[in-house]
Amino acid sequence: MKTFLSILTVLALAISTNAGEVKLLNVSYDPTRELYQEYNAAFAKYWKAKTGDDVKIEMSHGGSGKQAQAVINGLEADVVTLALAYDIDAISQQAKLLPADWQTKLLDNSTPYTSTIVFLVRKGNPKNIHDWNDLIKSDVTVVVPNPKTSGGARWAYLAAYADALEKNNRDASKAREFVTKLYKNVPVLDSGARGSTITFAQRGIGDVLLTWENEAHLAQKEFGADKFEIVTPPLSILAEPPVAVIDKNAQRHKANGLAKAYLDYLYSEEGQQIAARNFYRPRNQQIARKYAANFPELKLVTVEGEFGGWQKAQKIHFADGGVFDQIFQRK
Amino acid sequence: MKLKWWLLIVIAGAQVCAAAEETNSPNAEIEALKKEVQALERKIERLEQQQAAQQNVATQPVESARVEELDQKVKILERQRESDQEQAEAAAKTAPKFSADANGFKISSADTNFVIQLKGLVQLDSRTFFEDGGIKDNDGFILRRARPILQGTVYRDFDFAFVPDFGGSTVQILDAYINYRFRPELQLEIGKFKSPVGLEALESDTVTAFNERSMVTDLVPNRDLGVELHGDLFSGSLNYALGIFDGAPDFSGSVPNLDYDDNKALAARVFLQPFRTTDISTLQGLGFGVGGSWEVDRSSSSASGTGLTPGYTTDGQQKFFTYNSGVYADGEHWRISPQAYYYWKSFGILGEYVYSDLGVTKGNASANLNNTAWEVTGSWILTGENASYTGFTPARPFDPHKNQWGAWQLVARYSTVDIDKKAFPIFSNPGTSASAAHEWAVGVNWFLNKNLRVNASFSHTQFVDGNSGAVTKQPENVLFTRVQLAF
Repeated sequence: MKTFLSILTVLALAISTNAGEVKLLNVSYDPTRELYQEYNAAFAKYWKAKTGDDVKIEMSHGGSGKQAQAVINGLEADVVTLALAYDIDAISQQAKLLPADWQTKLLDNSTPYTSTIVFLVRKGNPKNIHDWNDLIKSDVTVVVPNPKTSGGARWAYLAAYADALEKNNRDASKAREFVTKLYKNVPVLDSGARGSTITFAQRGIGDVLLTWENEAHLAQKEFGADKFEIVTPPLSILAEPPVAVIDKNAQRHKANGLAKAYLDYLYSEEGQQIAARNFYRPRNQQIARKYAANFPELKLVTVEGEFGGWQKAQKIHFADGGVFDQIFQRK
Repeated sequence: MKLKWWLLIVIAGAQVCAAAEETNSPNAEIEALKKEVQALERKIERLEQQQAAQQNVATQPVESARVEELDQKVKILERQRESDQEQAEAAAKTAPKFSADANGFKISSADTNFVIQLKGLVQLDSRTFFEDGGIKDNDGFILRRARPILQGTVYRDFDFAFVPDFGGSTVQILDAYINYRFRPELQLEIGKFKSPVGLEALESDTVTAFNERSMVTDLVPNRDLGVELHGDLFSGSLNYALGIFDGAPDFSGSVPNLDYDDNKALAARVFLQPFRTTDISTLQGLGFGVGGSWEVDRSSSSASGTGLTPGYTTDGQQKFFTYNSGVYADGEHWRISPQAYYYWKSFGILGEYVYSDLGVTKGNASANLNNTAWEVTGSWILTGENASYTGFTPARPFDPHKNQWGAWQLVARYSTVDIDKKAFPIFSNPGTSASAAHEWAVGVNWFLNKNLRVNASFSHTQFVDGNSGAVTKQPENVLFTRVQLAF
């Protein structure tokens, strides 16, 4: 019997040690394509120089909520770089693939760069849109993705809500009334930020796109600075897209060290430079100053400060039957 | 417009009359009038143009705004339609899939990680014995196999099967196992399934050449309970299996679901198809290997049975050899079975040899019995389909309306089994049990389609010794038929 078991063990080991190339899969949200395209190349070069090993990084992009659900359902991400902490919390709670305190594992709440929500309008700003109040005018059509599936859309919704609270002496009913009017002006809800950019910029729908600051810049670059203008409202939200190693997947793929190094490098000078070049606000203040022209100053509220954290915000606003479900009716 | 012209004419007419009164030259008057008419025409045209221009200025912005509004609406509707299509496609990707075809009924999750499949096998046979020495009650129709087959996959890598059999005289759980596929090369199977020894025994019941397997299969284990490590290496060119089992006696139709006997059996098999993935088409269907088993049986001291076969059977499923009462398996029992097949185009040949060394005891007597068997089965598909160990699909399924008649196959077999002379007379009665049996059989199989098959075959078995046995005192001649439904 012992001999038999020994043979089994040897066979299992012999085959599993030849399991093939270890790859790193980064499951990310919609608008990070360009950022990680540049970052992955830089990291691969850095890793090769450091260890002599070639590293192949695969990317998956989509609406942040959908991406989190895919990981929960078995997509074997080694790392996730999603739009908001709530989505990574969901992976931790539902699939138990990483610990509940994952956000303490890296600096700055595991958020190596930040962003905010701005307005992208058509050249000349024909509808004269400068502030959140301008979005509820009857002749304004707003393009924004679906907050049920898109992280950026949740940030946009909360920014609008926070502005309404600010302007209405923190009256929640007035804020609710405001977002109701705002979403009445939204004719199409795409599932992710990139879809909404296409709706606005490529298909020519709407007067204003509510989007990530970096996505607005990229849209300008891609579709022409002569066609669009970025309007930074006086108040918006501090969007903190976090990153995390999906421990159990990375362990299974024997890629723990690589995955950790991959995320650590986002905080390096080169990683921060790449983030800034791609219009993400870097944490490194020196680099932030260098790219200050790209990042106008504005009042930034936080989810924690305005809404009591993501768990609470999610439950009140975005859960099934929440405020968003109550106020939004597709036309 | 008409009114203006009438006015012109009236004015012109009046002026003509007045001019006529003032001048005496009609031609000059006409010329003058013409000029006046032309001047008036130009004046009217200018007025009309001015009026039209004023109207355009007033309506242009309104029309432009309406066009813009309609354009937006059309774009929004188009984008909503796109969005709906994307959502429908995304939903389709996650929706379960159902299929019903010749391979059975299947429901699977969109990612195929979860699959459940319902299949079935029904075999209705007839056996007609000729010149059988007056044996009663051996002819008749038989529900040989009636199996609902439930199989599937959970969590992508875990396969399962549950196969009860309602055919024959005993309802039994034939297969019940879970197979974990770590990789194709490394799989672990646990439960009740076929022991990895005999080539013919491992062949699917739906594709065997004849209604019954040859006498070679009398000497190998059938299904057994245990754990098996197995896999396909080099793209299936090498298949291996290594397992530990409760230990089954020589081939018997029924295996119990529990066995508290402390003795365990090791069984293993290696089978190669070295040319399977090469371009050498004439050798792609060549396979050869060896299977074997080993156990130490102490059944004489256990309550789980004799550890011996209830009897070796002929094609007609009549027992031609049984052990005497009080005989138990005792000591080592090992088997080795070199085996091979070769399939090329419509031709197929399968051969197998089994050597069995079995320790037996009765009272104070004990012996190691060396029993052997071998067989060769040939097949030829008359309708040209390519033969294989796992069967084939008729190229022209039966449909008289289209002048299609399915596939036809001729089969022939020779098999023989020799019982060790040391078995007689202490362990087996030489009067009623044969010391050897030699069988030949021929048949024709009609495959109506992938699911339906009709067999007809004749089998002749000659016995050595057993001169007073009801079965063995004369040769066995049996005509078989079968109607099979398998999906």
